Amino acid sequence: MVNLTIDDKQVTAPKSATIYEAAKLNGIKIPILCHDKKLKPFGACRMCLVEVEQMKGRQIPACTTPVTEGMIIRTSTADIVKARKMVLELLLLNHPLDCPVCDKSGDCDLQNLTYEYQVNSNRFTDEKFSHEIDYNNPLIERDMNRCVLCGKCARICDEIVSYGALTFIDRGIETKIGCEFDDGLNCEFCGSCIAVCPVGSLLARPFKHKARFWAMTKHPSVCGYCGTGCNITLGVKDNKVLTTIYDEEQGFHKGQLCVRGRFGYQFISSEKRLTTPLIKKNGRLIESTWDEALELVAGRLKGGNSVAALATPRLTNEELALFKKLLVENVGTKNFDHAAGYAHTALTGGFARSFGTSASSATILDIQKSDLLLVIKTDAYETHPVVGFEINMGVKNNGIKLTILSDKRGKLSKLPDATTIVHRPGSEVAILNAIAKTLLDDKLVTATAATIAGYAELEKALSGFTAEAVAAECGITAAAIKTLAAAYASAEKALIIFPAGQAYSGHNAELATAAANLALLTGKYDREGCGVLCLSEKNNSQGAVDMGFFAQDGGLNGVQILDACAAGTVKTLFIAGENPLISYPDHAKVKAALEAVDFLVVSELFLTETAAMADVVLPVCSYAEKEGTFTSTDRHVQYFKAAIRKNIKIKSDYEVFSNLVTRLGGALPPTPALFFSEIAANTPGYQGLSHVSLRKEGAFAPVATAPKFVAPLAVAPFAPETGKLALVTGSALYHNGTLSEYGEGPMHVCPENYVELSRSDASLYKIAEGDLVTLSSSSGSIKLKAKITPRMPAGVVFSPYHFSAAPINTIWNGSPVTSVTVSK
Amino acid sequence: MNPITPIINGMKITLKHMFMKPVTLQYPTERPKVAKRFRGLHALNVSHDKAKCVACYLCPTVCPAKCITVEAAEDANHDKYASVYEIDMLRCIFCGYCVEACPVDAVKMTEEFELANYNRTDFIYSKERLLVKK
Repeated sequence: MVNLTIDDKQVTAPKSATIYEAAKLNGIKIPILCHDKKLKPFGACRMCLVEVEQMKGRQIPACTTPVTEGMIIRTSTADIVKARKMVLELLLLNHPLDCPVCDKSGDCDLQNLTYEYQVNSNRFTDEKFSHEIDYNNPLIERDMNRCVLCGKCARICDEIVSYGALTFIDRGIETKIGCEFDDGLNCEFCGSCIAVCPVGSLLARPFKHKARFWAMTKHPSVCGYCGTGCNITLGVKDNKVLTTIYDEEQGFHKGQLCVRGRFGYQFISSEKRLTTPLIKKNGRLIESTWDEALELVAGRLKGGNSVAALATPRLTNEELALFKKLLVENVGTKNFDHAAGYAHTALTGGFARSFGTSASSATILDIQKSDLLLVIKTDAYETHPVVGFEINMGVKNNGIKLTILSDKRGKLSKLPDATTIVHRPGSEVAILNAIAKTLLDDKLVTATAATIAGYAELEKALSGFTAEAVAAECGITAAAIKTLAAAYASAEKALIIFPAGQAYSGHNAELATAAANLALLTGKYDREGCGVLCLSEKNNSQGAVDMGFFAQDGGLNGVQILDACAAGTVKTLFIAGENPLISYPDHAKVKAALEAVDFLVVSELFLTETAAMADVVLPVCSYAEKEGTFTSTDRHVQYFKAAIRKNIKIKSDYEVFSNLVTRLGGALPPTPALFFSEIAANTPGYQGLSHVSLRKEGAFAPVATAPKFVAPLAVAPFAPETGKLALVTGSALYHNGTLSEYGEGPMHVCPENYVELSRSDASLYKIAEGDLVTLSSSSGSIKLKAKITPRMPAGVVFSPYHFSAAPINTIWNGSPVTSVTVSK
Repeated sequence: MNPITPIINGMKITLKHMFMKPVTLQYPTERPKVAKRFRGLHALNVSHDKAKCVACYLCPTVCPAKCITVEAAEDANHDKYASVYEIDMLRCIFCGYCVEACPVDAVKMTEEFELANYNRTDFIYSKERLLVKK
């Protein structure tokens, strides 16, 4: 810490702080246009000029000057104010004064400063710019006439998003922010540039002209898409969510969001939302009343073991716990599960046996503190983009070594010095085991590893996994495995990251234990910057596991429930928010099961394909209309309040379950807040948490580890068939689950399913970009648009699973890799 | 005091008024002269066959009676215009703040004061009714 004087006030600041940061820390406001908390200092706008006595009273930029001991700083002398006014005059010289039609008005730094410094006239004259406005993409509008050249958009796109879509082009007075070849913007549309733009140069098109900034109320909430647990601020007007608002103080990610978080909010106030309960009569869903629908459901739930339930991990912790309570205590069944029954097994099967807790042993905050990251599948960026930003920043700013084991290349592969080991699809577990074997053979294990239970068994079970044997099977070199093992062992801190989800059936308990074994062998767990981080798919996937909402104690799991429906042993199926018809493997099987089951109840926001098959459809709330807690993938428990009032005709899932509990003869459950305190007391790591204590910024539920080695199973690797391609499924960057189909933003840029294939396969099958190709597997065939990308290795094709119009599960039966034939 | 004097004084005033122009107007046959700056019914100014309004929302923001409803939209040239511009005359207090706030001289107040109507809904003036007639 250093001591300094700012405006006659004695203050202290960290040694690494700039004058601007030191002033901000001590509540002194210095005006600035080109600064953002997350970005490196730039010094473009010259608004933050201050006088430092030791520097002979010269005016120096506060944002790029580090503090030194004893500095005496003045932030607003008459001379400084004069200089700032001049800066504003010069900026306003070319800035079009179209505030009435500019959506930034009210939230515009330039407007606010002009008002604050009362710049009412201009001594200079010049023409305004007449740059062409970029309307080329559906999400981001670029009006370079309004630009003040602070460079924040270009810097955030480079430093954090690592896409590099924007940069300064041309020189002098003609300088502007442009894209490659001065063309239209075509990027991954995370909208970070919009968030940081101090003026109205970059605007969100879905929100264009919807409301003025001052007319909206701002409600902090937690994003309802992936498991990262990003904090968002919803802009609400007339009880409608109109946009997301940037707040650089929010969350670990400091307001940074991805495309679906920023642009995918439209599902909340969508016209397509269900508003009345529907009951199937004579084969048609007819509008009904809550009383009739719930009475009917309650009657059918009195079936004990013949009742089963599937819930989406998008429900709150309170709802999942209450649903479980309803099923176990009032209905009397153990048949309930989430996420197709396998997407959570890395946690419930893998980490549970290796670490003794069904949770990751690292947090997202560990990423930047690590020395080496081992990412399994480049898809980690697509499934969890904001975690991807952390990796970007770690690699670019902290020099973290990044190694990726993947069946295809991806955006993470493009990071500086990133090593991507592209292996045959489906062989990640074997490679991890080969690394473990190499660690043992080359004596790279820590001394304490041998004291952990199961060491001897592991050593024995790994005998078949020599680097040479595995490398030959997996299409990589033994040297790559050995180098990776040595790098992993020698790094001071190392973190393994892998995504999990319904499209990643190979990322199961086996993968989790194989990764955990590496961490245990080298002692890289239970320390800062170390461990294994499983990126679970949905916003409350970890919460669903923590609440115990998965098959255990002999209950049927997700897949078995559907089998039992088809066999007739399950007569009533309650689906809360899941859309198995699209997102579970094997479309035909799921359809047959849902048709066969006697009574199907679906509680949903929309009339999804699954809901359309139901006997009773219950309209429920989205996260923006209820309160509760979500647990992010790294066990960060966060509380959120309702941002809008719910439609009076719909109920939250919590109200539905409460009502059913009383109808089945149970006592009326307490409010969500009281119920959460109750469940927190009985959930490991949650002790002491309550809605009130989580209100400010949430809390990490600690993960207690009880390490144990788990011997791997010998699994026959996927053998590519001649004349066929290997299909791997996954998530697209723009989507998460099937909910994002109802978010308009993601659908603007990624509206339909596609298949990605390599250039060599494309030329082999004479497929051009955008061609409609037919993919056939043993379970069916599907027509998809072809996308030819250099990232796919020959013989491998990729397709995401989110789309109801062309669901990939018509040809995918849940195996990690599927052999498919491709024809035009 | 002489009891007759007040009566005479009173009669003087009465007689004086008998020869003065009456204050009362025989409305509707006689029309009042409305001052130029009278704040009557609103009108939306037109320029180049289009309403000048750019839907900046300053008038609904400043309106103390909250009687103005504006909805903005984007036209074919990506310009902002008011797809909805409604004033609820039952709520309007004719303060004229909307005219004062308007940055583009799109809204004015006319000399029109005869706003009586038969239905409540007729008091909600839509954009079409507010546009300046040629």
